[in-house]
Amino acid sequence: MFRKISAVALLAITTGLPAQKSAPANVTADLPAGAMQTRATTACLECHEARIILQQRLSKAAWTKEVDKMTKWGAVVDPADRDALIDYLSTNFSPDKPAYEPPRTANKNASGKSGD
Amino acid sequence: MNSRREFLKQVSGAVFAAAAAPSMLTWALPAGQAVPFPGEDGMILRSFRFVDLESPVEYFNTWLTPVPHFFVRNHMHEPIELDASGWRLSLGGEVEKPLTLSLAELFKLETHSVVNTLECAGNGRSLQRPQVPGIQWGKGAVGTARFSGPRLHDILQRAGLKPSGKHVMFRGLDEVPGKVPPFIRSIPIEKALDADTLIATHMSGSPLTKHHGFPARALVPGWIGAASCKWLTEIKVLDAEFVGNFMSPGYRLPNQPVKPGDAVKPEDTHAVTALSVKSVISGPIDSSSLKMGKVTVHGAAWAGEADIVKVEISTDGGTTWNLAKLGRDQAHYAWRLWSYDWKPGRGGDYSIQSRATDSQGRVQPETPVWNPSGYLYNAVDQVNVHVS
Repeated sequence: MFRKISAVALLAITTGLPAQKSAPANVTADLPAGAMQTRATTACLECHEARIILQQRLSKAAWTKEVDKMTKWGAVVDPADRDALIDYLSTNFSPDKPAYEPPRTANKNASGKSGD
Repeated sequence: MNSRREFLKQVSGAVFAAAAAPSMLTWALPAGQAVPFPGEDGMILRSFRFVDLESPVEYFNTWLTPVPHFFVRNHMHEPIELDASGWRLSLGGEVEKPLTLSLAELFKLETHSVVNTLECAGNGRSLQRPQVPGIQWGKGAVGTARFSGPRLHDILQRAGLKPSGKHVMFRGLDEVPGKVPPFIRSIPIEKALDADTLIATHMSGSPLTKHHGFPARALVPGWIGAASCKWLTEIKVLDAEFVGNFMSPGYRLPNQPVKPGDAVKPEDTHAVTALSVKSVISGPIDSSSLKMGKVTVHGAAWAGEADIVKVEISTDGGTTWNLAKLGRDQAHYAWRLWSYDWKPGRGGDYSIQSRATDSQGRVQPETPVWNPSGYLYNAVDQVNVHVS
């Protein structure tokens, strides 16, 4: 099953397009638009997907701790980008934003067939 | 047991491969469409990569949680490849005779079963105010299953435990991204030697699925889920608690209550171990509209290493409390289902609350006890409904 998802995913990467309209294998979500979107995508989504960020609602002080911890843990952040990255995260994912609404899973594979 | 033969047949020579989803892969999902996820049905997708799935509370209506409805918590990527025939479990450190076991050798040991309610330490984190970083679990990072496998005690005895052995470390096959510290934790020797602490290979009669630690995991009953290391391959007996990120600063609670913003010194903290007393309402669900008549309020209550003594329900905002009926199914480390028949006297908006008390005299607090990582949230549960 995971092999199948992977094959679809690799095809999508190769072509730069979703592999098939009938196989909307939603693997990850996107980070929000903004000057730091590309840098944040490179720094953060190498190791985990955007939903882990989208669901947080943190103060600037808390985001600063997270960015510094993740940098120590291997996130590639140019020191010149650190403050802008913290601003980007603490602006988009501050405590006053509405709660993130996560999707549900369906027990089926990427082609829509029922799973086990 | 029958499933053992089937399990060996299933895994014999088999290689379970699962390629991790390539990084930075994104494409949109039409609004309202569920994410295809083999073997996981209607779960709340907290994260696909790493896989973190939460059970909706309305699933908590059976004593044993079906595996497709059982929460999944990963700190990092699941193993890319799991080769059951090549799998080995090593045991070393403060023992007389270090040993290595294959899966077939593990199956030769006497098997025991423990029905255990497994809960993530961070369950309920999203309800903490102010909010704290981490997976923003709602109420459903918890489930109950019958775990089976040999006792850790028997394996430790076989290796000859030295008196210097005070803690037992577990390491699994989690794929570590970047420079993230590996997921390694330890438990005190007393808990490791407890007759109910297992090396589990089965979950409610079936071999563990990959998401739950195939082919073997630690099962430390009554304790936070993080104690029960998945994809277990290494056990090491230590003379002190393991030193590493997931023992400290991870999975620690302040010794005294703290306020948001307070600095907490590591020496003023302790490792999170046993679960708190807690209940959740699985029906009626929050924000639902009900018709006048009998309403069965129901849910589950658990208390880690303690037993549930009573669950009380309030339908008037906590002024009066009424005893819920506890379900028949029970086991020492397992939750009790409960129910309460309520007849609203009139239409209108109601707040329904549940409050559990355990055999250690612990009672769910009215308001949550805040801590910097949002562990062990256990405030009185509440749903709001409209009756017409």
